[in-house]
Amino acid sequence: MSTHKDSLLKKFALKATSEYAQANFALVVSIALTLIFLLAGIDFSTGAIKPVFFSLFIAYAVFSIIQSFIAYQVKRDLKRDGVIRSSTRMWGYFQLLSVLVGNIFTTAFAFGLIKKKKSPQYLFTMFMLMTQFYVIAVSSLNLFKPYVANTFLMGMFLLLAIFVFQLVVLLLVIKDNGQLSKWKLSVGILLILTSLTGNLFALALGLFMLLEVFSKTPSTVAKWYAMWEKIASNMTAMLGLFFILFIFSLSICSYWTFDYGMAVDNNYGATLQMPSLAYPLGTDNFGRDVFSRIVFGARISLIVGVLSTFIPFVVGGILGAISGYYGKRTDNILMRLLDVLYAIPGILLAIVIIAAFGASTTTLVIALSVGSIPTYARTMRANVLMISNMEYVMSARALGASNLSIIFKQIVPNSMAPMIVKATLTIGGAVIATSSLSYLGLGIEPHIPEWGNILKVGSAYLESHSYLAIYPGIAIIALVLSFNFLGDGLRDALDPKLD
Amino acid sequence: MNTVNNAPQIHSSSVPNVLSTLSQTFGKMNQYPFLKWAMLIIGLPVYVISFIIYLIKRKDDAYQRLWRELHQACTEAGLKEKLITKHIEQQRRKQTFFQQKIDELKMKQVAEKRAEDEFLQVVEDKVQEELAQRGEDQLTFASIMRSLLEHPVFVVLTFIPGLLFYTLLFLYMNPYIKYIFERLVSTLFVIVGVAFFVFTILYISPFDPAANILGVTATKEQIATFNQIYGLDQPYWVQLWQAIQGIFTFDLGASFAGNENVVDAIARKIPITLLLTFIALILAIVIAIPIGIISATRSNTFLDYTLMFVALIGLSIPNFWQGLIFILTFSIELQWLPATFTPGNLLSIIMPAVVLGTGLMASIARMTRSSTLEVIHEDYIITARAKGLNERRILWRHAFGNALIPIITVIGLMFGGMLGGAAVTEKVFNISGIGSYIVDKQFIPDIPAIMGGVVYIAITISLVNLLIDILYAFIDPRIRSKMKQY
Repeated sequence: MSTHKDSLLKKFALKATSEYAQANFALVVSIALTLIFLLAGIDFSTGAIKPVFFSLFIAYAVFSIIQSFIAYQVKRDLKRDGVIRSSTRMWGYFQLLSVLVGNIFTTAFAFGLIKKKKSPQYLFTMFMLMTQFYVIAVSSLNLFKPYVANTFLMGMFLLLAIFVFQLVVLLLVIKDNGQLSKWKLSVGILLILTSLTGNLFALALGLFMLLEVFSKTPSTVAKWYAMWEKIASNMTAMLGLFFILFIFSLSICSYWTFDYGMAVDNNYGATLQMPSLAYPLGTDNFGRDVFSRIVFGARISLIVGVLSTFIPFVVGGILGAISGYYGKRTDNILMRLLDVLYAIPGILLAIVIIAAFGASTTTLVIALSVGSIPTYARTMRANVLMISNMEYVMSARALGASNLSIIFKQIVPNSMAPMIVKATLTIGGAVIATSSLSYLGLGIEPHIPEWGNILKVGSAYLESHSYLAIYPGIAIIALVLSFNFLGDGLRDALDPKLD
Repeated sequence: MNTVNNAPQIHSSSVPNVLSTLSQTFGKMNQYPFLKWAMLIIGLPVYVISFIIYLIKRKDDAYQRLWRELHQACTEAGLKEKLITKHIEQQRRKQTFFQQKIDELKMKQVAEKRAEDEFLQVVEDKVQEELAQRGEDQLTFASIMRSLLEHPVFVVLTFIPGLLFYTLLFLYMNPYIKYIFERLVSTLFVIVGVAFFVFTILYISPFDPAANILGVTATKEQIATFNQIYGLDQPYWVQLWQAIQGIFTFDLGASFAGNENVVDAIARKIPITLLLTFIALILAIVIAIPIGIISATRSNTFLDYTLMFVALIGLSIPNFWQGLIFILTFSIELQWLPATFTPGNLLSIIMPAVVLGTGLMASIARMTRSSTLEVIHEDYIITARAKGLNERRILWRHAFGNALIPIITVIGLMFGGMLGGAAVTEKVFNISGIGSYIVDKQFIPDIPAIMGGVVYIAITISLVNLLIDILYAFIDPRIRSKMKQY
């Protein structure tokens, strides 16, 4: 009997073990990046080698080879024993070094490989550390600049101190056996405080610790824990979340560690410089540091993206809820009016509104918001229609609850999941729309460093200085891709059909 | 009260079939408040005539007579007093149970009111019962209308004054025509709504086109003349009416800058945009649907993950950046394709079409995958497999057609986004289509040009969606059966 069970276990071990799929994913992305660096590292017309990209290629190649070895080991272990041996897991420590060359895919895989039983707290702590590490690393590139911001040293010191603290938290989390410990309260509060640097992994971790301390009912903790576990086990979603939070944290920390003058002040002594240590991504036609401009542009993209998703989320959500709950004539009138908005493509509607009120950040946010109200209203309406026929709503009505209390206590909380997923998936679209409009000269004012604006300048130098157009584009794609990954992951985590 | 629905249908064979359907259609339409009012307005002459007939007939109506008789009979039998005592007793018991204070006067008032209501209800019930026994119908205005519509003489006599009314009834007799007619009306509403919305936004704009075009040196008289020429000095409603009229008569006047006829300019620029969109659409469909199906049939394999990863990247690339990279790679470095569009050069439309189609391609591929995955887990696919059909036949015969329905919806929805997004692509590749026309005109702001551009694009999108909806109505049996039972 037991041998039969063992053979079954081995048969499905490959499919059932998340490490195997993750190993392959990390391997493939790593190889793809290696190839991209190889292509970028060789100038095909002259046959010369570009040192920066070529060394990156070599570094990535090394870790890709290690990764393929680990993937092979994992597969062999699973086929032979049905479990991954601890000697294979030890390789994870080595693969952790890939964090130094910026290969977040193999690093994230290594987190998972090291520990056999992965609690969401552990994964969140790891991602928190990784975020902090990269924020410090990117900020410290400023050391090569001719001068730094006045608050640079203080900011870096604070970031390093927080990093050390988070290392301590990692040790505590690894030792944590699920019992209620005294340290949880103080560490949780400290973690929440450190999340002021924008590292929201710390916020989530801290809140969860406080929840464990204060919650009277274990079922609440278990409910949150289950949802966390689902998201944390989805590697692509976590990587997406990581990149979003990294950008978010970087744009908050840039208040102290970056010099705004570098990004906006003209410096005619250094126009159109090729990438170097002082100017990691070169300078544009006014001598402004493209690297600093991209870092400061992240702020605008995130703010506009989030706001122009949040406003239609609220407005459309309310309209949809009213329309779905009251039905009949209210529904008909509201939906026909929204059909009018729906008939105009989002970008064109934005262009019309901007034509009427001028190009500015506020107008842009409003213009993008108005266009996406109907989609949110439709999503919300569909959910509300479904949920208002549920038994618990009927029972609330039978108990004499008022319409308002039914809407806000029963229906809205239960119809949030699809809305959140939709919002995450459309933030990416809003980021693209923002930069597209800026590129057309209709978005953010041209003097403000914004990714679309940087690209607009770059597009004029496509032939001679193509990097000016390439890097901001990569930043946009990475951010949008992250939101899409996160949205897909959230949908999988929140969809009850997949349970 | 409404006895129209359950009235027994007595039709003598002498009544022509068309007329009886006409009468039935009227009965159905009369249940919808909106249609009721619409019919009243357009069929006013018919209504007036039948109302007079109604007034005459009501005098010797069986219902009224019976009601009076039974009402009297019940009063004489002392039913009302019995009811009052019953209600007082009820309230007393309730108040003792809840240990409330008993207020005799108030209790009596409440009891009387309730007794009165119940009394009327009892009388009504008795009347209905009696009527049903005798097989007679209660005379209402609607029932008079229905019986009149079955009279050939009435219909012929009122046909000329009630032409519109009868046309509407005829349209509603066939469910397909009714569906198409209703979709057309709502499309018309959307188009007028779009024109109203866009015009209003541009009207409340704080910018002054006259000052922008004439420059800062313009005198007051010059500005006044400019405003007079373009009708900008007229009140809001007049301008709005002219704009909406202009949309439908294809006469939006001249643009502010350059003084060219707006509709002519748009007509010159729309074909290239449509061509570009069309090529992009075909390209996206041809590439994405096979990818989606391959992904679905090999779900959770390496190939599936790779394809979906690429699709997600396709969704995340901004059009303009992709365009720039294409120009950099294929025009500047490899020199395979021209960097800008020239009319007549087929090679030069490849890059713009691919760039414009990328987002759609990614969406269609993802949608095809998920909807195919959903369909191949349905019971009827298992049945097909149990019958011993081979996989290929199952996929193409049973799964694909059903999976196609949500894909077509996505295509319809994305088509609008593509026409809008064409503005960016057109700017990158220097194509003088409708999108770049709107972008160029928005700096002034050139109200007729922007409005014309946006509204005609919205009309195109609405018409495409209308077409898709109608197509559905004929393809999808679920919609077909839903349509017939309204």
